[in-house]
Amino acid sequence: MSNAIEVKQLRKEFKVFSSRSGLKGAFRDLLTRKYKVVPAVNDINFTVKQGEMVAYIGENGAGKSTTIKMLTGILTPTSGSVRVNGMDPHREREKFARTIGVVFGQRSQLWWDIAVQESFRLLKKVYKVPDEQYNEHMAHIIETLDIGPLLDKPVRKLSLGQRMRCELAAALIHNPPLLFLDEPTIGLDVLVKVKIRQFLKDINQKYNTTILLTTHDLADIEAVCDRVVMLDEGKIIYDGGLQSLKNNWAEEKEIHFQFLEEVRLSQLESLPLLFETSWDYDEKNQTFIAYIKEESDNISQLISAVVSHFKIKDVNILETSIEEIVRNIYEQGISTAVRGV
Amino acid sequence: MFYVSMFFQYMGQYMKTRLQYRADLVVEILSDLLNQAVNLVFILVVFGHTQLLAGWSKDEIIFIYGFFLVPYAIFSSFFNIWDFNDRYIVKGEMDRILTRPIHSLFQIILERIELESLFGAVTGLIVIFYAGSSIGLEIAWYDPILFIVFAIGGALAYGAIFIAIASIGFWSDAKNSIMPMMYNIGNYGRYPVDIYNKVIRFVLTWILPFAFVGVYPAAYFLGKKEWYAFSFATPIIGLIFFMIAVVIWNQGVKRYRGAGN
Repeated sequence: MSNAIEVKQLRKEFKVFSSRSGLKGAFRDLLTRKYKVVPAVNDINFTVKQGEMVAYIGENGAGKSTTIKMLTGILTPTSGSVRVNGMDPHREREKFARTIGVVFGQRSQLWWDIAVQESFRLLKKVYKVPDEQYNEHMAHIIETLDIGPLLDKPVRKLSLGQRMRCELAAALIHNPPLLFLDEPTIGLDVLVKVKIRQFLKDINQKYNTTILLTTHDLADIEAVCDRVVMLDEGKIIYDGGLQSLKNNWAEEKEIHFQFLEEVRLSQLESLPLLFETSWDYDEKNQTFIAYIKEESDNISQLISAVVSHFKIKDVNILETSIEEIVRNIYEQGISTAVRGV
Repeated sequence: MFYVSMFFQYMGQYMKTRLQYRADLVVEILSDLLNQAVNLVFILVVFGHTQLLAGWSKDEIIFIYGFFLVPYAIFSSFFNIWDFNDRYIVKGEMDRILTRPIHSLFQIILERIELESLFGAVTGLIVIFYAGSSIGLEIAWYDPILFIVFAIGGALAYGAIFIAIASIGFWSDAKNSIMPMMYNIGNYGRYPVDIYNKVIRFVLTWILPFAFVGVYPAAYFLGKKEWYAFSFATPIIGLIFFMIAVVIWNQGVKRYRGAGN
């Protein structure tokens, strides 16, 4: 089996009730309802090979969760075909569910009131995992995720980071060939994030597990994924490597300055620089923001120019976030983005 | 076989959860017992003032009421889905259910088991024995078996109605007030159906078969020969309605829209 996921012309429409305005409108709504059909996922195509690690990204409402829910058999597609692990997820749901692991960041798989190991024990029975396989496989997972000391604590007493690591272990009890992660690192501190990323790479190497994850954290993708699929308004606007995505779209860096003295925007704009810089003022944080191309020593040139003219209180260099990359692509048009594939 | 073992696994999980809160468990058992005692006194007092209703004697009516409590207790222990819409659809817990390799309805039933409701069956049995002995009913060797079969059939019929109503949640996300209304209608099954007019009788038999939870099966034990056909239909009706409910549920799952994050 070479392809873990095959998606063809996949589409999911939602009927949305659109209400008319005013009291008169409300009465009319009572009699005849107006529905709008909104495609959340709009005829997308992609395949994922066994063992690939793919980031599925896009802004909120772009259709990420809807796609994942169709891939995991939770939602029934409006049209198109989905084959995951060689099965049709929603038709053969119960058989299919044995071959995937799912972690939804905001939702718990574990039983709230009882010890973590009791949840593991029940899930082991649910997935019919033989004792030997469980002992060997879980011992490794428990050790790598460092959750041994948490096993006898009830889930409600765990911190978010501890719970998340347990969730991950729970999703892997039956050692599935395919793992779906929806925002696995949301709200976690850096150390836990690093541990989880390392762990995902480990299991991918050890078991050739295919991983599909959604995230808002560029660092997650950089650390884990070799491929990025980007969605916007239900359509795939980019599908390819992370590096080429960054090269094409994240060429800008943001540098934030705070000054000790009063500085005007025009003063900054008239600084003598050899490359193009655009300036912005964020009134709320009293911060001046410079946008520059990330080439050669632009950053140091800019900073030295600013420092030599004004007294600064604080400097901050920001990596472009996923949201910004998406916004860039969106603003500059889809056609140019697809060329990057 | 897998489902039977799952049933006991989840049951074990339920016990463990319960035992986590020891004080809570004791208080709950006490309050359940107290509740049932109050219920018992209430039944005897209220029916103490009734004499004859459409040819049913006071003790017969009490007997039917007592019988009703048994399938109702089974129903409340295993079909705790009155808050399905809020708990599973609005909060999106259904997502988790659907990613596990067990039938979704079965999982929800397992997750929501509330064994303490079985105390109601004890009250029911006390009422049945009290009423039965004042009528002077005799117990044949096969009566306990039929009793269990009828009680389960009644519980299935009751459960089927509530599963079908819970399934509405898949089609409409609006809260509906059908659930509490259904609990009220369910109470009609506690009384002899021939005291109602024809339409209500028809509804309680063929559309919302609550009569199969109380009066019809109980009529057999009371030796009311004219109702025997209905009595023996109880398990069949229970199964048929339950299967219909599962079909409706399965259709509903296909319509599930999920909750936004």
